[in-house]
Amino acid sequence: MSAVFSLTMVAETLRISAPYACAAAGGVWAERSGVIQIGLEGVLLTSAFTSVAVAHATGSAALGVVAGVIAGAAISVGHGLLVEKARVDAVVSGIALNLSAMAGTRLALRGLYGSASNSPAIEGFRFGPTGSAGWSLLARVFADPVTLLAIAAVVATPFVLARTRLGLRVRAAGENPVAAAAVGVDVTRVRLSALAISGAVCALGGVHLAFDQHRFESGMSNGRGFIALAAVVVSGWRAGRAAMACLAFGALEALQIVLQDQARKGSLGDLVQLLPYVATLLVLAFAAGRSAAPKGLGKPAEE
Amino acid sequence: MPAPVLRVDRATRRFGELVAVDGASLTLEAGAVSAIVGENGAGKSTLLKLCAGVLAPSSGRVLIGDADLAPATMAEASRRGVGLVHQHFMLVGAFRAIENVVLGAEPVRSGGRLDLATATARVRELMTASGLPVPLDAITDDLTVGERQRLEILRVLYRGARVLLLDEPTAVLSPLEAEELYGTLRRLAAEGRAVAVVTHRLDEVVRFADRVTVMRRGRVVHEAELRLEGGGRRPAAGLEEELTRAIMGGDPPPPFAPPAFAEGAAVALAVAGLRLGDGAGRTLLDGVDLEVRAGEIVGVAGVEGNGQRELVRALAGLEPRAEGTVTVAGQRLDPRARDAVRARRSVLAVVHEDRHEDGLMLEASVADNLVIGDLGDPRSIAFDEAAVVARRLGRFHVDPADPARLAGELSGGNQQKLVVARALDRLLSARATGAAVLAQPTRGVDVGAAAAIHAAIGEAAAAGLGVLVVSADLAELRRLAHRLVVMRRGRIVATLPPTASEAEIGRAMLGVEAA
Repeated sequence: MSAVFSLTMVAETLRISAPYACAAAGGVWAERSGVIQIGLEGVLLTSAFTSVAVAHATGSAALGVVAGVIAGAAISVGHGLLVEKARVDAVVSGIALNLSAMAGTRLALRGLYGSASNSPAIEGFRFGPTGSAGWSLLARVFADPVTLLAIAAVVATPFVLARTRLGLRVRAAGENPVAAAAVGVDVTRVRLSALAISGAVCALGGVHLAFDQHRFESGMSNGRGFIALAAVVVSGWRAGRAAMACLAFGALEALQIVLQDQARKGSLGDLVQLLPYVATLLVLAFAAGRSAAPKGLGKPAEE
Repeated sequence: MPAPVLRVDRATRRFGELVAVDGASLTLEAGAVSAIVGENGAGKSTLLKLCAGVLAPSSGRVLIGDADLAPATMAEASRRGVGLVHQHFMLVGAFRAIENVVLGAEPVRSGGRLDLATATARVRELMTASGLPVPLDAITDDLTVGERQRLEILRVLYRGARVLLLDEPTAVLSPLEAEELYGTLRRLAAEGRAVAVVTHRLDEVVRFADRVTVMRRGRVVHEAELRLEGGGRRPAAGLEEELTRAIMGGDPPPPFAPPAFAEGAAVALAVAGLRLGDGAGRTLLDGVDLEVRAGEIVGVAGVEGNGQRELVRALAGLEPRAEGTVTVAGQRLDPRARDAVRARRSVLAVVHEDRHEDGLMLEASVADNLVIGDLGDPRSIAFDEAAVVARRLGRFHVDPADPARLAGELSGGNQQKLVVARALDRLLSARATGAAVLAQPTRGVDVGAAAAIHAAIGEAAAAGLGVLVVSADLAELRRLAHRLVVMRRGRIVATLPPTASEAEIGRAMLGVEAA
């Protein structure tokens, strides 16, 4: 039981939650501005791959982070341009984004590293004490620049949305684009800005995923973008609650790892592995009907 | 003569083939309230949008002060002190009121942080000065219609407007609220602003405006000063007729007279103990009892949002959770019946209040719109669609009478005729006994279309249907109905003869005891 309430558990929860929370915050930014974004999975993958490729080529982890974030913002804005300017259906564009990210990273893996499964290892950031004790795990989490950036972005999101001019305009664009335009807000520009932020924040999650493993693996986002999207919906499109939902999900996954260590002998481990997913299903089933989407979600900028 | 603050000089605005505004000129002066009247599609709203920079003129000029409005954008017009209050409120429902005021002109501190405290202080000053109270921290969706309108005006004043343009501001207000609004507008004008109001209600023009501009087919066809030299007003006598003639370009239709109705006629529509909650503990209908006899027209008055919409929906069979009984032509209607709406169509005709939301498929043809609901039952094998469409178009004078046209291409008045035609003709042609329920039958339609719809309502009553009309327009109800009932908080609180004064009806609507 002590394994459940331990520093290891806290450290693992934070480490595991970071990509989910970043993707969810990114989803909130996009959808609160009124643009349906089911392509978070693709943003995670693309940014994870780009960060590893650049870090590997330049030998600089910092440059890798920057490149990953830029790549995430860029494809997210690309999605926005397709939806807002070319009037492509947002769901179609999102699916296209996910599929091309999946295929594109595979193709690039083969082209650059001649492998179907993973990139060569990168150094990434290695700060903090070594060892597998709980306190050293936790220290490493808080010494990791990517994790710190991720936490900062996730914590800042609800404040920026609620308290700044940009946040007000993003919310207006998402709730009632016609009314926002009527008072002189350039809805298309606001939505593209929101998507750039969405992509950048989500990309931090992708970079975290890759740097945590010190390499890129094909399909390594493994559905996290979709689970984050579920968290956004369950939270009623509220950034703070979505982050809490991701933290809870991360805790369940951490619990599963901790318990699995203990139950390795029996067949219980397989069942324990299901825990986070069963929890997601349950929460979705109970919360789906009650949450309120932004009223202008998916509505074009003009009448 | 005060200097004009805004002048439109022979402006024309085209939309493709259509000329919405055709060489119109308009002068707005500081201190004056100007009214702009005309039928639907006469170009009033377009003219207002030219003034506010929402649209640019195809030719001609808009001058603010002495300089052209260039570029012709809303941002530029707003910067130079012109503010427009839209017909359909342009507010974000989920925002707090104060957030709606500042949106687009936000005061910020370092780092782009909103400075709502400063904004709130300034708006409170404006509220006191202008007499426009609004709860600034409330969620906009929770505000009453009147409060939302005040919020829109505050928003324009917050941007420092010297010219205030309002597009049909009283269409959604109760008579008392409308009177209050004009009081406020007069005060704002007296402070040196220019005010222009587009409206359909001539009685308001006669009572409150300093001058009136009449538009027809995009042109300004008539102008009149209503404030005389020396401070008096033009007498109301003859003025409304003069304006009506200018609006219609000819003599007005004969006034509507409800058909005779025999007191002892059979009950066509009986409602007893009708209750409805919103599922979250709020009561929408709180025991409505109502009887409409065959051939009788009963008008339902009330401030909007007091259960009228829910009453119509419940009668139509759209509220399966409604309790109580609804009996039409002796037939008990069960709200929980499978297919409750279709089950009613042989005895009940319903016109919902929002023709775009509930009445029409704008992207479908006129013909499809006219027969939807008549198809799909075994008898429709013998249903001659073309004949029915032609009859409905002719009987209700839809113009153009072209079944292939898209419904969305018709003017608002003709769209409304489609909805009314579909509902009433089904019962009238079948010589059915039953009832007709019409919500806001002439909202936002012009004088000609309104007269045609009123005639159709009279025809329905003369044919022996019991008719229930819900309307926010008291003048309409008083003209149409044999009897008025007033709804407040989901109940019928008063029954009055149509001869009751607007003030008396207004007091019942607000629950104020007679003084």
